[in-house]
Amino acid sequence: MAEKKRKGAERKEKAISYFDYNLLFLIIFLVCFGLVMLYSSSSYIAANSALFNYDGAYYLKKQLRNIILGAAGMIVLTFIDYRVWKRFSLLAYMGSLALCVAVIFVGSDSHGSTRWLDIGPISFQPSEIAKIGIILFLAMMLEKVAKQLKSGWNLLKVLFMVAPVIVVVAISNLSTAVILAGIAVCMLFVASPKYSHFIVVGIAGVCFVAVFIVTAGYRMGRIEAWLDPEAAGDLGYQTLQGLYAIGSGGLFGKGLGESLQKLGNVPESQNDMIFTIICEELGLFGAISVILLFMLLIWRMMIIANNAKDLYGSLIVVGVMSHIAIQVILNIAVVTNSIPNTGVILPFISYGGTSFVFLLCEMGLVLSVSRGIRLETIK
Amino acid sequence: MERNKTYNRRKICIFGGIAFLCGFFLVGRLIYLMLFQHDYYSKKAIDLQQRERQIKAARGEIVDRNGVVLATNEAVCTISVIHNQITDEEKVIAVLSEELGLSEEYVRKRVEKVTSIEKIKSNVSKETGQKILSYQLDGVKVDEDYRRVYPYNELASKVLGFTGSDNQGIIGLESKYDSVLQGQDGTILTFTDARGREMGDLEESRIEPVEGDTLKITIDYNIQAFCTQMAQKAYLQKEADSVSILVMNPQNGEMLAMVNYPEFNPNDPFTLIEQYSEYTGTEEENNYLNEMWRNGCVSDTYEPGSIFKIITTAAALEENVVSVNESFYCPGYILVEDRRIRCHKTVGHGSQTFEEGLENSCNPVFITVGSRLGASTFYHYFEKFGLLDKTGIDLPGEAATIMHKEENIGPVELATISFGQSFQVTPIQMATTVSSLINGGTRVVPHFAMSITDSQTQTVQEYTYEGLEGICSEETSEMLQYLLEQVVSDGGGSKAYIEGYEIGGKTATSQTLPRSQNKYISSFLGFAPASNPEVLVMVIINNPQGIYYGGTIAAPIAREIFENILPYLDK
Repeated sequence: MAEKKRKGAERKEKAISYFDYNLLFLIIFLVCFGLVMLYSSSSYIAANSALFNYDGAYYLKKQLRNIILGAAGMIVLTFIDYRVWKRFSLLAYMGSLALCVAVIFVGSDSHGSTRWLDIGPISFQPSEIAKIGIILFLAMMLEKVAKQLKSGWNLLKVLFMVAPVIVVVAISNLSTAVILAGIAVCMLFVASPKYSHFIVVGIAGVCFVAVFIVTAGYRMGRIEAWLDPEAAGDLGYQTLQGLYAIGSGGLFGKGLGESLQKLGNVPESQNDMIFTIICEELGLFGAISVILLFMLLIWRMMIIANNAKDLYGSLIVVGVMSHIAIQVILNIAVVTNSIPNTGVILPFISYGGTSFVFLLCEMGLVLSVSRGIRLETIK
Repeated sequence: MERNKTYNRRKICIFGGIAFLCGFFLVGRLIYLMLFQHDYYSKKAIDLQQRERQIKAARGEIVDRNGVVLATNEAVCTISVIHNQITDEEKVIAVLSEELGLSEEYVRKRVEKVTSIEKIKSNVSKETGQKILSYQLDGVKVDEDYRRVYPYNELASKVLGFTGSDNQGIIGLESKYDSVLQGQDGTILTFTDARGREMGDLEESRIEPVEGDTLKITIDYNIQAFCTQMAQKAYLQKEADSVSILVMNPQNGEMLAMVNYPEFNPNDPFTLIEQYSEYTGTEEENNYLNEMWRNGCVSDTYEPGSIFKIITTAAALEENVVSVNESFYCPGYILVEDRRIRCHKTVGHGSQTFEEGLENSCNPVFITVGSRLGASTFYHYFEKFGLLDKTGIDLPGEAATIMHKEENIGPVELATISFGQSFQVTPIQMATTVSSLINGGTRVVPHFAMSITDSQTQTVQEYTYEGLEGICSEETSEMLQYLLEQVVSDGGGSKAYIEGYEIGGKTATSQTLPRSQNKYISSFLGFAPASNPEVLVMVIINNPQGIYYGGTIAAPIAREIFENILPYLDK
């Protein structure tokens, strides 16, 4: 009896102090590894260009600043009960929609697209904020209507609610819109008890993509560049340079810092194409290790989602998880030329401003959900 | 508060499962790219990242039969600058203008020019190159190069030839043995960034150049040098157009000397020699350059004249249509069909034996003998003696014999052929054919190349030349030796006579076409010792002024050559 009591007390103590240190460690490791690779892939270009004041650590410094900002956000969010956000979900959603609309009119140009919004000294990408907005909003919404989700009609209604932000983002940044849509579909999929609807959604999605590609000539060019990058000239250049980097890595790579393709051959080597430099320097082993790290991250979030004390928390984690999973898969698929080229960054590793800060904030949400887990519910 | 339902959990697992499947697919894709396509993409990447710089290989030397170097290389440097690697511009400008003796302005202009690589000066001596290297200036490149050098300038220029800007052989032996002499250029591979800038800290992979092989030729520097002097002397004294001297070993075809005076300087082959200097800068300059480079012994044909009587004699002896003691009568002319062909001695040689006829170089005697042979038999001997083919000498541009067609040889043509007119051969063809007739009847291949020595392994590969035996009988050959010795000791070649040596030979004086110009070619062909010929000398003076008889002007030159080289060869 006494023993049982003691065990119960222990259990209670543990239940209070639960925190997913595995996930935290994975995040810290990925961020640090990302910094090393960012410096490796960007230093030569930065050190040799007047654009960056010949400062090899230019990207590293900016990334560090973003990480400090993001880490602060993450810590704060970890210790705030995530259920607080239910009240602000609609506001977050409407706010991000407003920012996304604003960027179309008053945004600043970079890389040929209008994606940045300048408020005073701060410049940020509203589409990245939209990701967290859509996750919070849908989690709140789906929890509310969970019981009615058997009906396909209701599913569509929810989808229509988030459609405006996706469409607005799509105007300037198609790949982010795809990610937003993907997050929404994943969250709906988990919340809904049915499967059949999603088969329909899947088929509809494929048809939409097909029509989308055929209707615009330049997209057809991307498809051709995908099928045969060596014959595609300029369109296939980035893909091909990436493949040279990946292919020349071999089993163990050339060693950290020894990439030759980063010397200006691979465009955006610190950005979308950073995975190719990882492959070249660290080889197949390094590349698989990175993929395994992301799998571990997904797995930890699956556990948190499965054991969250309420559906709201579970859906937040599902949203973040789908966000990361979609970006990792799309990024690696693009650089390995498994799918046509589209600009998606690799979470935690690629250089990113707004995206990095908000990614860490999302991780704060997930950690906050993990804090709410009561130990006895863990299977 | 809504709780997690079982289906939610299942769906989270399905979602995670799908994500993992995608992950495994991507791992598979990476394995394919990084292991199975590794070689392909690595090669492509290296092609993109590497730049190749050539290291010139030294060309093989040409040495004479005793190892005297006739053609070699001088190590030179090319100095260039790479603008975006220069750190101390002022110092680079100062050092380069100082060391290279160039104006500061000139150097500054090139140093400040934004190009990938800018050449400052080529053909800089190695010492200067080393000195510039020792300053260790960033962005200054000193590349080694070679320049072909002929230490004896004009000596055997038309035999050796010269090389072009890429060290490739242009004419002569340099061209003929180009593949042997040319080494294999090495390469330095450097890695560069996307803008072509070299990555200095990355290890360069270097493929060492392979030097060309050494070619040993049959020429004897001393003989060649002496013959060149003799040719020059005759050229100046007789105000001739050109003088050619051939010295060869009649037993095996080795060429000991081949002079075509005036020679040119292969160190500076594109400057016209004095004789043609008036054409410098004119449209005809190229024609005269070709003229200047032309090896007359091999590339020009002429009417051999009386020297050809050796061949008529050989054919007649082979066919037994004449005996040496047979008596002939020369009235100073001979009638062939309706033509009167005169002897050079217009009053006639009177009664003489065939032997005396050869000593006198009497045309009517040889016309008679020629007609006894008949056109087809004579033509047959042309073929048998090898006169219709090229000699196969290892020099480019050998001219072929210009001969009547067999069916076109009428009595008049037959008569003129008998004493060496109305057809043309090259001097080397004449010398080779006579060599073959007096050496016992083996048609030799005249040649220069003796052996090549591999620059890497030092192994020596000898060249062998297959002669064709039995083009005439031993008896005929011995009889020719005897008869031609008589020509020198008693007859028209007496000016080549040297006491204590048995020398055989034959003179010739042939009028060039068109006859109306009254231009002559005086020549003499001699060999020694007559009974066992070891050396054959042929002297050809083209268009001498004043006395033009071969026996008078060419034979003494041959004698002087014999006087000097016979003791030399005997030692």
